[in-house]
Order: sequence, then C-alpha cells, then structure tokens
Amino acid sequence: MNKKPSFKAFLTALSLGLSLGVAQAANTDALVTTDWLEANLDRDDLRVIEVSVNPGKYERGHIPGAVNFRWHTDLVDTVSRDIASKEQFQSLLRSAGINEDTEVVLYGDTNNWFAAWGAWVFDIYGVDDVRLLDGGRDKWEAEGKPLAIRPQQYSPGNITVSDADHSIRAFLDEVVEVARSENPATDIVDIRSAAEYEGRIIAPEGVNELSVRAGHIPGAVNVSWGNAVNEDGTFKSPEELRALYAEAGIDGDNPVITYCRIGERSSHTWFALSRILGYEVKNYDGSWTEYGNSVGVPVTNLAGTVWGGQ
Amino acid sequence: MTDQAIVLSLLLGAGFGALLQRSRFCFFCMTRDYLEGRDARGLLGILTALAVGLIGYHAIFGLFLPDPGIGRLPPDAHIGPVSWVLAIAALTFGVGMTLSGSCISAHLYRLGEGAIASVIALIGVLIGFGLGFASWNSLYLAAIQQAPVVWLPQTLGYSGSLGLQLLLLGAVAVILMRGHQPAARQPNASMSFREQIFKHRWPAHVGGLAIGMLAVLAYLRVAPLGVTAELGSIARTLGDEAAILPERLQGLDGFSGCATAIKETLLSPNGAFILALIVASFISALISGDFRLQPVTGKKALGHFAGGILMGWGAMTALGCTVGTLLSGIMAGAASGWLFAAFCLLGLWGSFRLKNRLGL
Repeated sequence: MNKKPSFKAFLTALSLGLSLGVAQAANTDALVTTDWLEANLDRDDLRVIEVSVNPGKYERGHIPGAVNFRWHTDLVDTVSRDIASKEQFQSLLRSAGINEDTEVVLYGDTNNWFAAWGAWVFDIYGVDDVRLLDGGRDKWEAEGKPLAIRPQQYSPGNITVSDADHSIRAFLDEVVEVARSENPATDIVDIRSAAEYEGRIIAPEGVNELSVRAGHIPGAVNVSWGNAVNEDGTFKSPEELRALYAEAGIDGDNPVITYCRIGERSSHTWFALSRILGYEVKNYDGSWTEYGNSVGVPVTNLAGTVWGGQ
Repeated sequence: MTDQAIVLSLLLGAGFGALLQRSRFCFFCMTRDYLEGRDARGLLGILTALAVGLIGYHAIFGLFLPDPGIGRLPPDAHIGPVSWVLAIAALTFGVGMTLSGSCISAHLYRLGEGAIASVIALIGVLIGFGLGFASWNSLYLAAIQQAPVVWLPQTLGYSGSLGLQLLLLGAVAVILMRGHQPAARQPNASMSFREQIFKHRWPAHVGGLAIGMLAVLAYLRVAPLGVTAELGSIARTLGDEAAILPERLQGLDGFSGCATAIKETLLSPNGAFILALIVASFISALISGDFRLQPVTGKKALGHFAGGILMGWGAMTALGCTVGTLLSGIMAGAASGWLFAAFCLLGLWGSFRLKNRLGL
C-alpha cells in the first residue's frame, strides 16, 4: 500500500520549501506539518477536515475553513456495525465541496485517533489524496495557530468514490485463520495497553467492558500506539518507526493486521505502518469487541482474568 | 485545552459567585418576595437573564449548527428529555427550595456569606443525588428512555424559537409588572456610587443582565452554566466507592445536562467553577459587609437537610437544577427548561402556601 507521491504534491512541497526558505522535510505524502497547512489554508483545491472524538471541539474553534465530520454518525452506519456506505460517504464528501482533484488534510483531537480512522475510510473508498496533519489539533493549538468558529459552506463537489476496497480491512474469519495457523504468514499488532493485551483488564478505565473475554489474539505482538509518536504528538521518523516495529518482529516482510478495542486507535498504527512505512497492512475494525466476544475462537489470556467471576 | 477550560471555569465561577452575591440572585428569595409582598423585581431579574441568554445562545447556535432542522442538537447545550419524570423532579426541587430556604446555587453563594447551615443543605443535596442515582435506572426505563428531547429551533427555526420565547418571557413580565406593588422606597438615593457598587445590593435586573451575558460566554468557551455536575460527581464517586449505587446508570451519559461522571481528576472544570463561586461570594460579602457567621438552629438544620435531599434528588433526575436545567435550558430553547421552570414554581408555590398555613 505504498502510495507514490503525486507529482502535484511534490511540486507543492518543493515550491513551498523554496518560498519559505525552510526545510519542510516532514512534509510527506502521508503527513503535512502545521506550518505547511497554515501557509496553504487559502488554497481552493485543499480541503481540511476535522474528525474529533469529542463533540463541541470543532464548534468552539477549528482550523479556518475546516469542515466537521462526526465519526459516530457521518463515517459509520449507525444501525449496522459498519463503516459508512459508499453512497453515504460520497454524499458526505460532496457536501464538503470535495472534487476529484481536491487534496484532503485530516486532523482531530486525541492524537488524531479518529482522523487516522477517517484516513482509513477514505482509503477504503479509493480517495487517495489524503494526508494527516502531523500532531493533530493539539499541536496546532499548542503553537497558538489561529482557530475560527464560523462554519464554512462549500458548493457541492463532484467526487465519485470507488467501491469499498477490502484489501486494507480485515474481517473476523481472516483474523481467526491467522490465529489458528501454526506458521502464520501474517503478523498481528495489538496496539492496546499492556494491561489489556495481557488480559489483566478487559477494557481501559472509563469504558464499559463490551467484551466477555480478556487477553489478545494468539500470535499478536503488543506495540501500544503511543510508542509511535513523539511528545508533541507527531509521528516518529520513518527510521524510528521501522526500528520500533522491527523490534517487535514486524518488519514489513509479512502482511500485517492491526487491531485495538473498537478499531480506531489501531487506525493510528495502520497509518504509521501503511502510509508512512509502506507496509501491507489491514486494519481489523471489529477488533477486541468483536474477537473477544466470538464463540470458539482461540484467545491468549496471560493473566487468566475470568469475566463475570468474583 | 483542559488547562484553559479550568482557568476559564475559575474566572466564570468567580464572576457568577460575585454576581449572585451582589444582586442576591436567589431563585427562592425572588419568588418569595413576589408571593409574600408582591415585589416582582427579583423575578423580573431572572426574566432579564433568560432574555439576554436566549439571544446570545441563539447567536452562538447559528455558528455551531447553521441549520437547526437537520436532526442534530448543538453540542453540550442543556436540552433534556421531556417526561413526567422531569415534571416530578422539578416539583420536588421546588418543595426542597421552600424547605431549605434556597436553591442549590444560592446555598453555594450563601456559604460564602457565612451561612454555615448551607453546608447541611449541601450534604442533603449529596444524599439526594445518591437517591437519584439509585432510582435512575427504573425511571430511565419507565419513561426517560422513550421521552422526546424537544429543541424548539428544530421545529421553529432560530428566528421562530427566539421570537416565541422572547414573547413568552415578555408576557410573563407583563403579568409580573401588573401584580407588582412597589416596596417602600429604598434608602439608597443618597448613596455614593462606590456604596451602590460595593455596599448595597445591585438591582436584580442588573444582576440578570450580567448573568445572561456570563451564561453566553460560558457556553461559548467551556460549557453551559451549571452548579450540580461537581456535586453529583462527588456523590457518584462516594456511592461508587461504598458500592451502594448501581454500577451502570443507563443512558445517563447520552444526555447533555449536568452530567456526572465518576471523579477521575481532583479539579474538574465544574469543580473549579464551584470553588471560585464560593470564594468570590466570600470576598464580595466581606467587602460589602454582608459576611456574617449565621448560627444554626435545630429547626433550620432539619429544614436545610430535608430540603437538600429533595433538591438533590430533583436535580439528579432532572439533569440539573434552577441553573443547569432552568436557566441554561430555557436559554438553549429546550422544552425541558420551560417544563422545569413551570413545575419548580408550582412546587415552590404549593409548599410555600402549605408551610404558611401550617404556621411553620
């Protein structure tokens, strides 16, 4: 899933780097820096989209010109557990004024968790020109960059999205097959906390359990999503990321599956492995709330926590 | 961002505390003034706050949610489910106000004025909250879950909602002004400007104007005004530690209101707001000479305690009190705010008459 940098993006980065006279090395085909975004905000062919976890964030101040996508209604099917349908997603993009040639930058609160999840949904529907604001909302705010509260209306765009591409989305059957395999040819990364991975707890604090078994998918390695970011929330350099995952045995030779509790924090790792390192990665959005509730699937529960017991 | 929310909450809480203290913005006393002496100035002050808040909220709503008719609600606004539970909660809250002589926000600012008995009322409120949590799940399944959440702009549009509600407030104001009997002349005509600001209480409509504006600022920057989230949070945490409350409060987190989460941090924005409110009222009372340690009699303690329990139960099941549900709800164009106001007044009026008849 390595995305080749588009010529346009290359030119943009080049001209900007020249015009600002500063090194914009962090500007890749996966990420944009806060400085780059600020300098490009008035471009008509650029659409900035906020996907925050917490309601009320966007409304009380967002990156000027940004559009708000609500993860819990806009990007999902609210009745069946699934991502938004092709039609729903396409009309959402069109209402945000996105055309075939629009570049999209996603950002959000809490370390871009849901923005990265949004990037995954964009990718599933074949919308390629999508990048994340490195460091997300927190970095933008920390740098004192401007926020606006007036919502922006755009005339409807003309984008047509592709059919869902499931080569970056793992489903239960496939995950169980890997879990049961003697010599799996696929690596699994569990990005939850060590306590969840080891089965000491079923869900993080403040979250209902929603799963009736503790532990992790057999064979999965534990690299918490937080290891992939610097203190300011930006992604570590590709070299650091490569070393981090290689240490856990994920070197990109095998295809990778990422999962967490509900599939959104794992999108963050999906983004790092897939979009930054160019590995072949599927995000398993069913994650532990599906796997840990499935009947008859193998589970590794190191701590031996028994659900429902006293 | 959290730090900013805490700092803003401290400032807003301090402003609110000073305004409550300076203008004696006590829902119970203002209503009693009218019931006893036909002095409508206090209630007109509340109407002023509501009118200013309504205008400001609607201006903000236009930004937050340009089209009110698309089936979404504006973030964080206190728009609650409308059911018989809300009516009973408000009624109970009104009775509690009569028994304890103040609503919850007034107990908080009175505490700053040296009213020690308010501590007893607040302890009662905590217990009432506990009872509210204990009864929540059955009430939720019986009525709240299927109750409509009515937001007037959704059906009337912003202009219609604003126009209708301002008309309603205007109509109530006309009735009050007709019934108003001017009290004896206030001896402040010869007061210096400094005395009028720092010594004498401010006219209620001045307090109302300022509180309306403060409410709008609070909603824009942090969250709607409310004084019970932190109290409820403390009650829920205590009850949780003692394992006497249901582990899961069905659907509670899905409603906007004075939401009450288990405490995770010592100082939440609402906790900061409450603390600053009490401290600012204390300073304001010291300057004006209103500070007086007031003795607690047995009868007073009993009334405060019992009233506190009723108010706590009412505020929990109504998702807020006279501030969180009445003020912040009506300003937001929520039918739940109006329903709370009507039944709270009914409870207050009925219990007040009964109390007088029994000569208590």
